[in-house]
Amino acid sequence: MGFTGQYIDGMSNTQPVPVASEHIELKARKVSFDWERTPLHWVPGDPFTTHTINVLHLLLPAGERWFVHVYKQVLPYITDERLRADVIGFIGQEAVHSQAHDDVLPHLRKLGLDPTPYTAQVDWFFEKLLGDRTLPPGRPRRWWLMERVALIAAIEHYTAFLGNWVLNAEELDRVGADPVMLDLLRWHGAEEVEHRSVAFELFLHLDGGYRRRARTWAAAFSALVFLWQRGVRFFMENDPTVLDARPSVAQFVRKGREGVLPSTPDMLRSIPRYLSRSYHPSQEGCTAQAAAYLASSPGANGGRI
Amino acid sequence: MARARVQRLRTAVLVAGAVLLAKRAMRRRIDASPLWPMPALDEPVSGRGRSSTVTRRVLVTARSEPADGVVRLRLEGTGLPDWQPGAHIDLVLPSGTVRQYSLCGDPAERDAYTIATRLVGAGQGGRGGSREVHEQVHVGTELEIRGPRNRFPLAPAPSYVFVAGGIGITPILPMVRAAEAAGADWRLLYCGRSRASMPFLDEVGETAERVTVVAEDEDGRPDLSFLAGLPEATEVHCCGPEGLMDAVGAAMPEGRVARFERFSAALTAPGTAFEVELRRTGRTLAVPADRSVLSVVREAVPGVLYSCRQGFCGTCRQRVLDGEVDHRDELLTDAERTDSMLICVSRCAGERLVLDL
Repeated sequence: MGFTGQYIDGMSNTQPVPVASEHIELKARKVSFDWERTPLHWVPGDPFTTHTINVLHLLLPAGERWFVHVYKQVLPYITDERLRADVIGFIGQEAVHSQAHDDVLPHLRKLGLDPTPYTAQVDWFFEKLLGDRTLPPGRPRRWWLMERVALIAAIEHYTAFLGNWVLNAEELDRVGADPVMLDLLRWHGAEEVEHRSVAFELFLHLDGGYRRRARTWAAAFSALVFLWQRGVRFFMENDPTVLDARPSVAQFVRKGREGVLPSTPDMLRSIPRYLSRSYHPSQEGCTAQAAAYLASSPGANGGRI
Repeated sequence: MARARVQRLRTAVLVAGAVLLAKRAMRRRIDASPLWPMPALDEPVSGRGRSSTVTRRVLVTARSEPADGVVRLRLEGTGLPDWQPGAHIDLVLPSGTVRQYSLCGDPAERDAYTIATRLVGAGQGGRGGSREVHEQVHVGTELEIRGPRNRFPLAPAPSYVFVAGGIGITPILPMVRAAEAAGADWRLLYCGRSRASMPFLDEVGETAERVTVVAEDEDGRPDLSFLAGLPEATEVHCCGPEGLMDAVGAAMPEGRVARFERFSAALTAPGTAFEVELRRTGRTLAVPADRSVLSVVREAVPGVLYSCRQGFCGTCRQRVLDGEVDHRDELLTDAERTDSMLICVSRCAGERLVLDL
């Protein structure tokens, strides 16, 4: 994978060190995608890979709506003007991501795969379990808000990881994956890379405690693994064209080695990076590559390129 | 020693057995219902898809000129969404220019939309969109569309007055058909520069009792004085040039408002000045013609939420307590528009808006 990490020498290794050149002004982009010609198995002949990536469409509509919901509550606490502008840009981008993935779901339903039983659970997960609880004002309420801000920072570590992966996943082009779906994933991935520092910087600005970072990472990681394997199982089980649905970890590892899914060793290596005390998201991924994709994405440019 | 080993072995066997049993039970439970055991939201939010990020490809299968300088296109596609009279689509032209056109065909037709466009020359304020349709779009051209959306719905009423000016007949035509089909009492006043330039004269049934056609070159300006005696329950729907819509607005009886469809040229125009009351803040602000509600409200309420400022991300959505909204966003559904608006682009169709802010 095209990991272009940058580290600045000679700085303390116990402080998060942002890479200044990776900062960019954030704005939401209006996008449009035509799903009419996207087949059910948009990675041809590979339902497992298709559905593993399709789980994004199940998790992101509710998940990114939740990001926006939490960040709207956080805005008044931000005292740094630049960070505030970044968070405002982030909110708009996430809102559009949520809509764009949500707009794929009716197409899946039309192809015979109704996602509603699963998305109704994801809706519950984000709106109820992780929603606003009736807590007394003051410390408990602030604690729950900070916990969610830290959770979002941990999840954004993975969205940036996946975004960077999909921008460089040339194997998907080689196997003939549907261009519209690839454009959706790469536009989204590029914006994730572009705004990858915002959630973490917000967490540092408001709290930044290492114990909270580690705790919420563990919660976010387990939740992602749990929801993801469940989503793959759900899709494989309900796909009208798949008869022998037995998704497995071994299959995931194999597809990662082939390059149509993120590689398992890469994913494992990203864990200690987030838990390192000097971690800063700007050290991973490449803003220039993301910007270049966004400039040429058909979906982000009104289908004109 | 030996006893301890037996003990350890027994523990190991027991644990392994328990793990195996638990795994089998889990597997059977999961096989029976893959989504066990998580609660679900009773009314799911995700998966309904508002289609604000979806384009569709359509093929031009017929092209005709129903009047001088007017081109009618039939656009065929698969899986086209249903629409109601008054709806419009965004048409992405070959150059990437996006223009909005009212649908003027039959809503019952599932796989085709019909639009009509008049050539507006640069001298008349045209921006090249209609010229491109007239010169570049032919039978066999593939185009992209977004929508349909409806910001000019037919208000439910027992009787209607429709006023159309020139190409403004396009959203009115399906409304007239719907009113007729519903058995409503309706009248149509159709104005234009000359009969030769007015499309769909035969479709509206020029000779019918309910229809009045006024061609300026023969009959002069239309007489709108009949609007003053408008019966209480009658709804007025009007689409046409700015001058005609202003005249209709002025001719309405005291306290009554007509419903207007404004063309995209007017959409990019700044609009009119109005007042916005922030009910919870307890302040009333003046919104000048050249500023958005958001930019004015931000000065009074610094923490007000927004992001894209172009009407597609939805962050700045606010609840509307009173006043008629001129919706200009590309996101909200018709249901959401009944009581909310995106304050970054949408404006007031009257003189005063009341927001729950």
